[in-house]
Amino acid sequence: MLLLVTGGVFLLLHLTPGDPIDAMMAESGDATARESLRRELGLDRPIAVQYVVWMGRLLRGDLGRSIRNGEPVIENVSRRIRPSLELALLAMTIAILVAFPVALVSAVRHNTAVDRLGTSFALLGICLPNFLLALLLIFVFGVTLRWLPISGYADPLDEGWSGVRSLVLPAVTLGLALAAVIMRTLRSSLLEALGEDYVRTARAKGLSEGLVIRSHVLRNALIPVVTVVGLQLGTLIGGAVITEYVFALPGVGRLVVDAVFARDYPLVQGVILLIALAFIVSNLLVDVLYGWIDPRIRIR
Amino acid sequence: MTLSRRDFVTSSAAAATAAVVGLPRTAAAQAKKGGTLRVGFYIEAATMDPHLSGSKVDRQVYHNIYEPLVTLDVKLGIKPGLAESWTQPDPKTLVFKLRRGVKFHDGTDFNAEAAKFNFDRMKTEPKSIRKGEVANIESVEVVDASTIKLNLKKPDASLLATLTDRAGMMISPKVVQERGVELGRNAKGAGTGPFEFVEWIKDDHLLIKRNEQYWNKQGGPYLERIRYRPIPDDTVKLQSLQSGEIDVIDYVQPRDVAAVKADKNITELDVPSLAAFAYQLNFGRAPFNVKAIRQAVAHAIDLEQIVKGVWLNVGYPANGPIPPMSWAYDKSISPIRRDIAKAKAKMAEGGKPGGFEFTMTTNNIPLSVQEAEVIQAQLREAGITMKIKLVDASTLISDGNAKNFEMISFQWSGRPDPDGNIYQFFRTTPGTSFNWSGISNEKLDALLDRSREVSSQAERKKIFSDVTRILQDELPMVFIIHPIEPKAFSQRVQGYEPIPDGMMRFKDVWLK
Repeated sequence: MLLLVTGGVFLLLHLTPGDPIDAMMAESGDATARESLRRELGLDRPIAVQYVVWMGRLLRGDLGRSIRNGEPVIENVSRRIRPSLELALLAMTIAILVAFPVALVSAVRHNTAVDRLGTSFALLGICLPNFLLALLLIFVFGVTLRWLPISGYADPLDEGWSGVRSLVLPAVTLGLALAAVIMRTLRSSLLEALGEDYVRTARAKGLSEGLVIRSHVLRNALIPVVTVVGLQLGTLIGGAVITEYVFALPGVGRLVVDAVFARDYPLVQGVILLIALAFIVSNLLVDVLYGWIDPRIRIR
Repeated sequence: MTLSRRDFVTSSAAAATAAVVGLPRTAAAQAKKGGTLRVGFYIEAATMDPHLSGSKVDRQVYHNIYEPLVTLDVKLGIKPGLAESWTQPDPKTLVFKLRRGVKFHDGTDFNAEAAKFNFDRMKTEPKSIRKGEVANIESVEVVDASTIKLNLKKPDASLLATLTDRAGMMISPKVVQERGVELGRNAKGAGTGPFEFVEWIKDDHLLIKRNEQYWNKQGGPYLERIRYRPIPDDTVKLQSLQSGEIDVIDYVQPRDVAAVKADKNITELDVPSLAAFAYQLNFGRAPFNVKAIRQAVAHAIDLEQIVKGVWLNVGYPANGPIPPMSWAYDKSISPIRRDIAKAKAKMAEGGKPGGFEFTMTTNNIPLSVQEAEVIQAQLREAGITMKIKLVDASTLISDGNAKNFEMISFQWSGRPDPDGNIYQFFRTTPGTSFNWSGISNEKLDALLDRSREVSSQAERKKIFSDVTRILQDELPMVFIIHPIEPKAFSQRVQGYEPIPDGMMRFKDVWLK
């Protein structure tokens, strides 16, 4: 699996027009300096050879060095992972805190005005482009009300409250879009579960509505939602590029985009590999979670 | 009253010189010490090592923590920097008398040995990007502790101007030897400038602080610290300034200039730049291997319309590679006038009376796309069909270097000496170079070489005028505009003096 990903990424990158040396030395017309740098970085060898060399290093645990700053890829990434992780977790928390109540109320008050409000909100969240929401939030809370900083990053673990403040707007931007997706999935799976026989049985047995929902419906409805959340977490960490860009957060998303524009091959390959790994790990976690929620699926 | 093209250009040039006035300059006695200046840039710096730097943003920080041997004044003249004075005993020798008593931030002395070390490093360090700039320096001799002698291979009148930027910047040899590659990320103790490096958290902020031991006791530095932040999104950057989160931004988009000028809380400065934006035409491929066809395109384009409609007059129509604020600018040569009849005549002359088709390669950013579409419409009126190919910056450079284009967008940030905007683009050069068009013109080559040998500014100006005229005829590039780089400041910022190279030097700046 990882082999496919690495091979694919490598090929795509190297086949893209554009060259890291040209990009790095954009302001210099010195051809000899270019050639010597190219040779030093091993970029003048045929693609197949470069791939083999890279894989060889990879198997030894060496992700190589960024072409632009000469530092190990691992260091480049580890410096940037914290903001991305904090943002992802905060966004996910906001998303769940918003989506669950809205979905529950929508499902329980199915086909009423409340439900329509909930689904409209979900539609808005899915259709509204990320950057538009970001700019709107910045304008309202940053420029007009001046309640929150417009851009920039402070680490909550280091600077506590001001760190959280710097992450609120970006987390809300990401979180609302995510909430919309979660809300829709949860609502439809709740509706499905509410229509099941065992629910009618539980109600007939005289259980209160609240108990019915909590102990029977919710657990069963959670399964598709867990899938969605798991997948989204993987994407969030590596992919909140636009949000990172607009809010000037020093995260992994921006790192990889800048690296792509500069054709910094080792850095792009390294990051994509790590994101693929994150995906695989979060999928595994999802599977484990299934087992906890639904006893039928537990691995014997 | 309609303004003829010539009048427009003349008045713009006058306005340009007048505009370079700067923010209110109060007497030094009123200047207050202290405060942190927060600066927003559009991209992150790449490296803190001037010898290895290829990007423009790096230079912004360098001009505050490092110092070159010579520096620029508001009129782009050369004035002393770390070198007190200089003489040229013969055209191939340059002798610098260095300032005494200057120390690097790490406490070591700046002297002739240190200067020699820097030049040697620029020439021999494998990853040095300065090699081309110092290629003409054969050797550097230490005459005494504060005098160095540069022996040149050929006379070069443009060398002094080159030394006002990275090629002339002095790094502490001790730091280089001890830190090596780390210097790119950590420049503590490395410079001699009014500010010194504190820390750099990539993509978050770069911090420099006042150098209490700065050698120049006149004026600043006043600011306690300067904090640079990369804010990639233009709208967010402007909003940060408007909301008071930052104090300075390096560039205001043309579409925002009117609004910023109207905002009473912000001071906006139109700083003319040295840049020249153009399109290179490939001499090695159809259809632009035919001169008449190149001239047809040049005469079908309406420069004024582009500057007015796309750039919103944040720039001057270009008559060639030399910008209006340069001493070498010849205002008697007007930019190429639009003339559809002439364009059609040239097309016939070039064997394509019924029109022809070609592809323009340009950058995938809104302003460039807009400009391309306007040009496309302008050319259509002459019967020329232009296709637009959008690529990202990296591909653009690669296509240009590989001469894989017909007409390609070229934006050069500009150099203080006209040579920096001309020589490497138009001189016959085999192999890969910035001469993307592939032009090889003997008369031009002779003029270009001569412009370096001659030292009288008046004579060089005449040579550059001849060069401009040939360029308007041969058309390796169709020049469009010399952009203005509007900068914006919060009301608290005082004492900023803009130099046309666009570099923001904060030595004498203070906060109200």
